[in-house]
Amino acid sequence: MAILVDNNSKTVIQGITGREASMVTKLMLDYGTPVVAGITPGRGGQSVEGVPVYDTMKEACNNHNLNTSLVYVPPAAVLEAVLEAVENKIHTILIVTENIPQHDVLKILDSAKNNNVRVVGPNSVGVISPSEHCKIGAIGGDNTERCFVPGSVGVISRSGGMTAETSWMVKRAGFGVSTSVSIGGDALIGSTPKSLLPLFQNDQETKAVVLFSEPGTSFEEDVADYIAAGHFTKPLISYVAGHFTEDLPEGTVFGHAAAMIEGNVGRPSSKRKRLLKAGAYVCENFDDIIKHLQKILR
Amino acid sequence: MARVLEHDGKEILKKNEIQIPRGTAVSNPEEAKQAAVRIGFPVILKALVPAGKRGKAGAIKLVHNIYEVYKEAEKLFNMEVSHFPVEQILVEQGVAIKKELYLSIAIDKIERKPVVIASSEGGVDIEEISRKNPGKVKKVHIDPWSSFPSYKGVEIWSDLGFKGKVLRQAAALTTRLFNTFKKHDATLLEVNPLVMSEDDVLVAVDVVLSVDESAIYRQPELKNIHPASERAWRPLTELERHMVAINEEDPYRGTARYTEFDGGDIGFMCGGGGASLLLMDALIKSGGRPANYSEVGGNPPENKVYGLCKGIISKEGVRGLFLAHNITSNTQINVVARGVTRALHNMDINVSVFPVVVREAGTHDAEGKKIFEEAGIEYHGDDITLTQAAQLMADKMRQVYPDYDQWGDN
Repeated sequence: MAILVDNNSKTVIQGITGREASMVTKLMLDYGTPVVAGITPGRGGQSVEGVPVYDTMKEACNNHNLNTSLVYVPPAAVLEAVLEAVENKIHTILIVTENIPQHDVLKILDSAKNNNVRVVGPNSVGVISPSEHCKIGAIGGDNTERCFVPGSVGVISRSGGMTAETSWMVKRAGFGVSTSVSIGGDALIGSTPKSLLPLFQNDQETKAVVLFSEPGTSFEEDVADYIAAGHFTKPLISYVAGHFTEDLPEGTVFGHAAAMIEGNVGRPSSKRKRLLKAGAYVCENFDDIIKHLQKILR
Repeated sequence: MARVLEHDGKEILKKNEIQIPRGTAVSNPEEAKQAAVRIGFPVILKALVPAGKRGKAGAIKLVHNIYEVYKEAEKLFNMEVSHFPVEQILVEQGVAIKKELYLSIAIDKIERKPVVIASSEGGVDIEEISRKNPGKVKKVHIDPWSSFPSYKGVEIWSDLGFKGKVLRQAAALTTRLFNTFKKHDATLLEVNPLVMSEDDVLVAVDVVLSVDESAIYRQPELKNIHPASERAWRPLTELERHMVAINEEDPYRGTARYTEFDGGDIGFMCGGGGASLLLMDALIKSGGRPANYSEVGGNPPENKVYGLCKGIISKEGVRGLFLAHNITSNTQINVVARGVTRALHNMDINVSVFPVVVREAGTHDAEGKKIFEEAGIEYHGDDITLTQAAQLMADKMRQVYPDYDQWGDN
């Protein structure tokens, strides 16, 4: 068991013939992900790492049973790629591309919602379920086990790098991850932390969730409300980075694009307070994650 | 997001048939005087800077006669508004105000839809109007796929108590504003105040337009307007501009963002987006005083690492270097090591008296470790955590400079 991706994730890569996409195709195949098709208009009939390439999603779906898509196309082409995937009944779409026009992202998220499609990203490094030997995206690179080993902790982070580092902290504490999700660094994303909690709640393998947070958005406030309402009952360990940004003049954005403070929503200090009050394990230092996990999962 | 200066924003509204006051942008007090005479008194002088709250900052002046114009314009040109020097001012016809209203279109990040906000009050922050008079504010979400239904505009202003000719005018203006918002990939288009003049004409007296930097490629009209990035609270410093230049020498390989702080003594060379926030917090908590913020990542080539490292160390008062990243999957640690050690060597830095702490784990880190250690630098990979690395950095400062904790007291 895991969430979002598992060994039944029959994956199609949109934009598979690109330099980075073909590298990632190999990394995913090596890890065990069932990558069965790729799409690049005009490159139908070719293959990448032995994966057949089609001109259209329709054709790929006629030849294969597909349910998951990884979007690697340039920013201007992402909206169309997602619409094509939605129309062809792909149920999980992970978008790696960053710098997509926001008006396009609004349309992407609206279509996904209306068709019950799960979108992860934009600007996600990937999702990985180690016990299923499945990863979608570049997450883990060519040395996946360095950070991601099978276990019972779910990891959520906006930062791709911190998805890896946090999963490595879980390993250092003596445990492993059920699924680690890089949700993407933008404010407009398909899978907010709150939207992932019901999946982790229902996943029997997951015993606790670690959430790495940054300034901006109301993601953590939403998580706090969700926990306080009793919808998520497993231990949630939280670390919120970026306290120093509160001491700098307003209007400064550090790190990811989503760091936009509106009123008091988005301040690391208020996020921590809200999560603490809701009953989450809030870490003073990032290293406290280890201590909390060892106490909770012993 | 990028904020377009007021006169450019107004030009765009004008092209979309929204009425704006007669005005012109000028670059010196003499031009201001000539423009004022052409427009006719009273005129408003407004400093053109990419920052809000200009009224409170004294950057907007009402001028009644020719004797005042030169003097007031000169004052504005000598001002700094929210740290921005005033290079241009807008000279504008003063509109006789009957009533001030509010209208904006923005992206609601929670509902994930464009949102129209209108109010029968204007001229102050919308947050303030909402707090004091929630009944006078209308908020309507619009389907991202659809165009603006014109009856919505009528509904909004009718609910706010408008009738007859003004109602029709306000509704039509709302449709035009929404269309402009969509057409130009705006993230915010705010008219505050929207003025009802003495003769019942609606005029956009102040306009804030922010456009999506990711969509500039499909906005040919905006290409000649150079919007100010909203990533900083002040113009770039000389060192920051230098760092941007280094980054752009090889724009497609690796990213680097550098923000200079006032004071500080530790050069901060960290990444990526999340880890640099964590490391900054941890370093400050350990008693260290970073001289800058940075976010370096994405497998930069050796020359870029070299240039950035030199830049970071060159800031006055920097007495140590903290180089740390989350465990990476693509950045080649050996390349980072070569760039950093070359920069230190080039700047004649003796690492036995200039503390350097490295925490770099990822591709080719065995070779990276060797390069760092041969240069006499304390190297760590995934033997320690990010928090421990920050603590080590602060400890090393104290060890090399026994009075380190007292420096800040001066």
